[in-house]
Amino acid sequence: MERAAEPAAALAVHGLHKHFGAVHALDDISLRFAKGEVHAILGENGAGKSTLMQILAGVYAADAGSIEVDGRPVTLGSPRDAAAHGIGMVHQHFTLVEALTVAENLALSLSHPGAWRLDLGAVAQKARALATEIGLDLPDPDLFVRDLPVGTRQRLEILKALARADRVLILDEPTAVLTPHEVAGLFEMLRRLQARGLTILFITHKLREVRELADRVSIMRRGALVGTYAVGALSEAEMAEHMVGHMDAPVSRPSAVKTGSVVLEIDRLSVADEGGQVGLSEASLVVHRGEILGIAGVDGNGQRELFEALVGLQRPVAGRVVVNGIERQTYSPDAALEEGIGHIPPDRHRQGLVLAMSVRENLLLHRRHLNRLSRYGLFQPAAVEAFANDLIARYAIHCSGPSALASELSGGNQQRVVIARELAGEPSVLVVVNPTRGLDLAASRAVLEALRDIAARGCAIVLVSTDLDEVLDSSDRVVVLYRGRVSEALARPFDVQQLGLLMGGAEGHA
Amino acid sequence: MNRLRDHVLPSVLALVGALLVSAVVIALAGHNPFVALTALAEGAFGSLDSLSEVAVKACPLLLTGLAVAVAFQAGVWNIGAEGQLLAGALAMSVVGSKLSLPAAIALPIGLLASATAGASWAALAAQLKLRRDVSEVISTIMLNFVALFALSYLVQGPLKEAGGRYPQTDSLLPQYLLPRLAPYRIHLGLVVALIGTVATHIFLYRSVAGYEIRATGLNQEAAKLAGINVRRRLLLAFLISGALAGLAGGIEVSAITRKLYERFSPGWGFTAIAVGLLGRLNPIGVVASAILFGALDAGSNAMQRAAGVSAVIVSIIQATVILFLVALPRVLRSRS
Repeated sequence: MERAAEPAAALAVHGLHKHFGAVHALDDISLRFAKGEVHAILGENGAGKSTLMQILAGVYAADAGSIEVDGRPVTLGSPRDAAAHGIGMVHQHFTLVEALTVAENLALSLSHPGAWRLDLGAVAQKARALATEIGLDLPDPDLFVRDLPVGTRQRLEILKALARADRVLILDEPTAVLTPHEVAGLFEMLRRLQARGLTILFITHKLREVRELADRVSIMRRGALVGTYAVGALSEAEMAEHMVGHMDAPVSRPSAVKTGSVVLEIDRLSVADEGGQVGLSEASLVVHRGEILGIAGVDGNGQRELFEALVGLQRPVAGRVVVNGIERQTYSPDAALEEGIGHIPPDRHRQGLVLAMSVRENLLLHRRHLNRLSRYGLFQPAAVEAFANDLIARYAIHCSGPSALASELSGGNQQRVVIARELAGEPSVLVVVNPTRGLDLAASRAVLEALRDIAARGCAIVLVSTDLDEVLDSSDRVVVLYRGRVSEALARPFDVQQLGLLMGGAEGHA
Repeated sequence: MNRLRDHVLPSVLALVGALLVSAVVIALAGHNPFVALTALAEGAFGSLDSLSEVAVKACPLLLTGLAVAVAFQAGVWNIGAEGQLLAGALAMSVVGSKLSLPAAIALPIGLLASATAGASWAALAAQLKLRRDVSEVISTIMLNFVALFALSYLVQGPLKEAGGRYPQTDSLLPQYLLPRLAPYRIHLGLVVALIGTVATHIFLYRSVAGYEIRATGLNQEAAKLAGINVRRRLLLAFLISGALAGLAGGIEVSAITRKLYERFSPGWGFTAIAVGLLGRLNPIGVVASAILFGALDAGSNAMQRAAGVSAVIVSIIQATVILFLVALPRVLRSRS
C-alpha cells in the first residue's frame, strides 16, 4: 500500500504509548496531521481511537511519547492546555447543561468581560459574531438546550470547542447520534471549516464517511497504527480489511451439524431506543437448535435493543418473536425465562449479579429456580444447599463456599456464577452479550468453551459481541448489526472482507 | 468471623464512640460523666421496675425499627413510620372505643385494624412512587405531617371524648386493653412485637418474597432480569413496613395510653430510623438496638434526677450513634 505524501504538520505525535491497567491501549503511535486536512481515524471498538484523541485533547496523559504543534514540542496536561495550543474536542457524549439556555451554556466556555457579572447579552453577541465568522447557524440564545434537537446541540458543542481552540477540531464519532439529514448538514459545515484552514480529526468506524469527508485516513487496530493512507488510494474493501485485520478466518470451531429445528425466530422486529428513535429496525433472523449464531457489529448499532427485546425488558414497536413455534405475547423477563430464553447480560455487575449477596443467593436469582426450590413461598434450605453446592462443583466456581459474597469473586468466577445459574434453568435459547468483556485470556476461553459445550448439547445460542474474533471463533453463522439492521447471514468459512464492509456500513455485498 | 466483623463491630464501635462523645459533652457542661453514665445505666437496669420500663419504651421502637428495616432492605426509603404509627394508633382508638366486640376477638381485630391503617397510609406513598414516580422520601415525610395534623383535628373535633374536657379520644373499651404484668407496666404487646420480629426474620431470609425484596433493594436491574416483579415487591415492602409501624401505634394505645391525644408519639417513627440502621436492618439486630434505645430513654430521667444532667443528653447519644454509623463503614473499609 502506498503511503500518502507528508505535508506540513499542524499536529504530530511520536512514539505514543498508553496503558490502562494490563491493557496496552496505545502501542507506539506516530502520526502527523497536516494543516487544513480532514483526517479520519478508523477502527473497531477498542482499537485505541478515542484514547489517542483524548490524549491530543489533554484529557489523558500518555505514558511515553511526544506531541508537537507546528513543529514545537508541547505538553498537553489538561483540556485547557490543549485549547491554549488551539486544539478543541467534541466528545461523543455532549457536555452541555440541558437545564440551561444556549447563552448560559456558551457563557461557560466563552471568556467574557467582567468576571463578577454575567452579561448574557454580551455572551450572545460574542457567540453570534463567532458563529458568523465561521459560518455556523447559532440557535436562539434564549432556548433551553433540552429543547434542541441533537444536531443543533452538536453545533453548539462545535461552537464551544471553536470558541477556545481555532486550529484543530477533534470529533469523536460525530455522526453516531445524528439523523441522515443532520449528517449532511454536519459534513457541509465541516467542509466550510476546513476551507477556513482548520484541521479536522474525526473518529469513525463508518467507511462511507471516510470516503465522503476525509482527505486521509489512519487505520488503527488493537492499539496499534496499521497505516495512514490517502483516501482516494484505498477501496472500501481494503479499508475494511485493514480495520478488521483477519486475512484468514479461524477454523477452531468445526462446523457442527446444522440440521436442528428452528428454536427462535425473529420476524421484522423493530425496537425503539431510549431517545424514542428506532434502535432495531425490521430485524429478522432464525436460530436453530444446537447452533451458535454470532451477531457482529460495532457497539451502539442495536445490540442493546435486540437484547432487551429478546429477554423481555422492552416491548418491540413492531414485529414478532417466535419461540419453539409459539409467538410471544407478553414481554417481560419473567415470561421470557418461562419460555426458555436464558441470558448472560452484558454487564455482570449491574445486570447479572447482586454483588452484595452470597454466591448461593446469586445462583438462585432466576424465576425458575425460585419456583422450583420453594414450597408455599418458603425456601427449602436442604434443596437450596444441594443446588448451590452442585453448581459450584460442576462449574468449578472458586469461592470459599456458597456463603461467600459475589463481590469477593474474581471476574471469571462471577461470570461462572451467571452461566451456572442460567444453564441450570435449562434454556432452549441463551442470549449472550459480550460474555468475555473484562475477563483475562484463560477465563475468556473457559466461558467460550462452556458456550460451545451447551450448544453441542442442543441449546441455541445468540452470541452478541463487539469482539469480532470472539464471534468468528465461536459462531456457526454470523450476521452483522449496522444501524439497527441485520445483514444476511454468512456461513463458514467467513468472508472477512465482506464482514468488515458490513460492519462499516458499506452498501451492497462484496 | 466475617458476619461478626461486618455486622456487629460497626454498631458496637458506633455506640462506644457515641458514649465517649457524650461523656465529653457532659464534662463540658460541668458534670462528672462517669457519675452521669452510671446513673443512666442504673436508671435503666437497676430494678425490676426499670427493666419493665425499658421493655415498654423498646416496644414501639422495635416494631417501627422493623418497619424501617423491611423498607430499607427493599431500597424503599420510608421516612414515614411516624405517620403510619399514628394511623395505626388512630385505628385502634376508633375501633376500640366505638366497636363493642366479644372479648375473644376484640384485641385481634383492633391490632389488625392498626396494621391495616398503617399499611394503607404507606400505600399512599407507594402509589405515588409506582404510578407517578414521586420520591418516597418526600411523600412519606409529608404524609407524617398530614397524619399529625389530622390527628390533631380529630381529637379536638369529631373524636373528642364524650365529656368534652380535654382534646383526647374516649378510653378504649376494656376488652381492647392489652394485659399488663402488674404491678409493672410491661405488657403482652411485647410478645406480639417479638412474634413480629421472628416473622419478619423468616420473611426476609427464608421466604421467596423476602429474598426478592432484598434482591430488588440491592440491585433492581438484576432483579428485574431474573423475572422478579420489581414493582410488586416494592409495593409489598411498603405495605409490610406500614403494617409494622401501624401495629406499633395500636399496641401503644392498647397497652399504655389507652386513649389518643395530640402529643401521643415522642417521635418513635423517627428514632426508628436510627434503631433500624444501628441494627444493620436485620431483625435480630433491631431487637438489640431497640432495647438499647429503650434503655437510654428509660435511664435518662434517672440520670437527670441523680446526676443533674439534662435528659436531652440522650438525644445526643442517639444522634451521634447515627453519625458514627454512617462514617464508620467507610473508615473500616479504607483500612482493610
